[in-house]
Amino acid sequence: MTHLPIIVVALYLATAFALPLLGRVKKLHTGYFSLCIATAGLVMSLLTLFYVAREGTFSYFPGDWPPPVGIELSVDWVTVLMHLTINLIGLLVLFYCIEDLSSEVRPGHETWYYTLFFLLMASLNALAMAFDMFTVFVFTEICTLAACALVAIKPKALCVEAAFKYLILSTLGSGMLLLGTSLVYMVTGHLNMGLIGQLLPQAIDLYPLNILIALGLFIIGLGIKSALFPLHTWLPDAHSSAPTPSSALLSGLVVKLFIIVVGRIIFQVFGSELFLMIPIPEVILLFATFGIFAGSLMAIAQTDIKRMLAYSSVAQVCYIYMGMALVSQTGIQGGLLHVFNHAVMKSLLFLAAGAFIYKTGIRKIEDLVGIGYRMPLTMAAFSVGALSMVGIPGFSGFISKLTLAFGALEAESPFFVVVIIISSLLNAVYYLPIVLRGFFGRPATEFQWDKLPLLIIAPVLALAVINIFFGIFPGSLQELARLAAETWLP
Amino acid sequence: MFETLINILSALVSNMHYLTAMLLFLIGFHTMLTHSNLIKKIIGMNIMETSVFLFFISIGYVHNASAPILDDRVAAYVNPLPSALILTGIVVAVSLTAFSLAMVVMLYKHYGTICSDQIMRLREEEQ
Amino acid sequence: MHDLVLQTVAKLIIPFIQLFGFYIIFFGHLSPGGGFAGGTIVASSFILYALAYDVQAGFKRMPRLASKWLESMGALLFVLVGFAGVAMGGSYLANHTGLLDLGEAGTLISGGFIPLLTLAVGVKVASTIISLLYHLLEEKTNV
Repeated sequence: MTHLPIIVVALYLATAFALPLLGRVKKLHTGYFSLCIATAGLVMSLLTLFYVAREGTFSYFPGDWPPPVGIELSVDWVTVLMHLTINLIGLLVLFYCIEDLSSEVRPGHETWYYTLFFLLMASLNALAMAFDMFTVFVFTEICTLAACALVAIKPKALCVEAAFKYLILSTLGSGMLLLGTSLVYMVTGHLNMGLIGQLLPQAIDLYPLNILIALGLFIIGLGIKSALFPLHTWLPDAHSSAPTPSSALLSGLVVKLFIIVVGRIIFQVFGSELFLMIPIPEVILLFATFGIFAGSLMAIAQTDIKRMLAYSSVAQVCYIYMGMALVSQTGIQGGLLHVFNHAVMKSLLFLAAGAFIYKTGIRKIEDLVGIGYRMPLTMAAFSVGALSMVGIPGFSGFISKLTLAFGALEAESPFFVVVIIISSLLNAVYYLPIVLRGFFGRPATEFQWDKLPLLIIAPVLALAVINIFFGIFPGSLQELARLAAETWLP
Repeated sequence: MFETLINILSALVSNMHYLTAMLLFLIGFHTMLTHSNLIKKIIGMNIMETSVFLFFISIGYVHNASAPILDDRVAAYVNPLPSALILTGIVVAVSLTAFSLAMVVMLYKHYGTICSDQIMRLREEEQ
Repeated sequence: MHDLVLQTVAKLIIPFIQLFGFYIIFFGHLSPGGGFAGGTIVASSFILYALAYDVQAGFKRMPRLASKWLESMGALLFVLVGFAGVAMGGSYLANHTGLLDLGEAGTLISGGFIPLLTLAVGVKVASTIISLLYHLLEEKTNV
């Protein structure tokens, strides 16, 4: 047993509380201090990976109180995968923050931004390993508050309005989560996911209604927070109006963690047998299919680049839900793979779009004609993300879509292979024109290099490199996702 | 006929706390989603959360039991876990309310109204 | 806003409110109450003072900067006390490592570092609520 996973959470929390104090010391640059802490977090999650690979998965009990009394944190392969994703993307987004923030938030508010960033990161890391319904609730709320504040910190009424909408709908979601928790607690007398999972098969005969309502509340409540298709209405506003680093974090990480929680509840609390007994997988598959098409179609109609990316997120989230609702091991593997790949792709796209806005101020898609002549490196990175979204072989998006398609075949529902193929074509309809017009449109100016600050261009290029690397050598990531899928569906 | 009615009524009365909680949840839900006044939305949010707290606490209630303080004279204690958890829930609700009120203040300063329909209209005019 | 009755009563009652708040905080591991309830009670005394006299008088008694520092310090204390368990060879927040004597159940000096954690929560909650009030009151004076 190692303390590393909880030390990451505690370190981030301590940093979040210490930063407002350190911000008063003029000589210390809070941004670089934050970078050091986030790097330490990434190193620790890598060490956790090596530890778990050597010694196997384990459960952590804070305060050394075992489950019926204490809290359990499960450090399994899902946790390891999610911790790596969160800390990697978080670190790269933080690099981008340092230069970009001054143009997005009020002067003097940068320190508060880092505080919120670390609160968010701590709650995301904790959510990834929480194995106790109430711990999930508490960190969900911390995550929601921090995420809303990261949207509202931009001094524009539009952002505050979007954040308010996000907060109201999220509160609805957490209310449902708590109600579901209380219903489950009522019939089992436990809050620990493992213990609830042991008791539910007996309890379902006695109190079927309670348990079904609880499952419904969990899925709808967390569905609102993770923007499952008909419940996604807050997402486009919040993700498109937020400061660029926040958009990357919200689209790349926050939404995913709630899907992970849904997955834990479905597979580790209720169990796949109970889940398959009632037609909930079919309902989720229906929503996901509609969401994939609706998200893509709405993205085609957008004129604002960040809004288009936000609608694209709606569609991509539905892929992950589809992977889980197929209830086949390869499907879940594909879904988890897509969690990582989409986090990389979407933060890459948001950061690249943010770099366009930072340099030129252009938000309209039609004005991006010839941008490849003014910012060739950024546009190349954006193209990598776009091609990966479409699912061109050689980029990581292709691998996860392929795995999802294999998962659909394993679940004997080839219909969803067709869905994936058609939606890839729809993705091409709105991503490829930007790439084509960016590089081959009539250039407004002479060719010139990007001339962006190093801290803005470096994370964008790093994300592009990661994307291509895992597109060409997907083996290790595939293995990690397979092990994670095995914890959910052996 | 009459007996079944009595049965239903007595079931309703004995499950009064669940019914009240569900009713409050629906009232809060409705207020939150349908009213255009932002303050009323926040009030609805609070009603909804309170209903969940009420529900959770009523699960831990034991008839004729005393508060969970160690005492030799007491035979049965109320389940302290739901109360302890709901204390955390209340803290969360307080911070959510404070944060949303702060956002309403910011919106009011900018638009001069707290009606979400008018804000939407003003925003479209701005753009 | 200078009400003599209110100000005199406030002056009389505030020490008792604070005493009660600290009682609730320090007996948090023995009886119902603890950091959150006690912290709110302590904060309410400062709020009463700021409302009865003036916000500016409140700022003098409890400067904004001080409440900001206490906010961070309370939370930091909680997180750092948790590391003590790790340092002593137990889990995070482990209390049985013998760092602080667990004492006899039911007495005031018992429970290892639980009173310390309650105190941290109390400080954090009290200062947070005071800062919240300051924010809201300032908003009012601006408009």
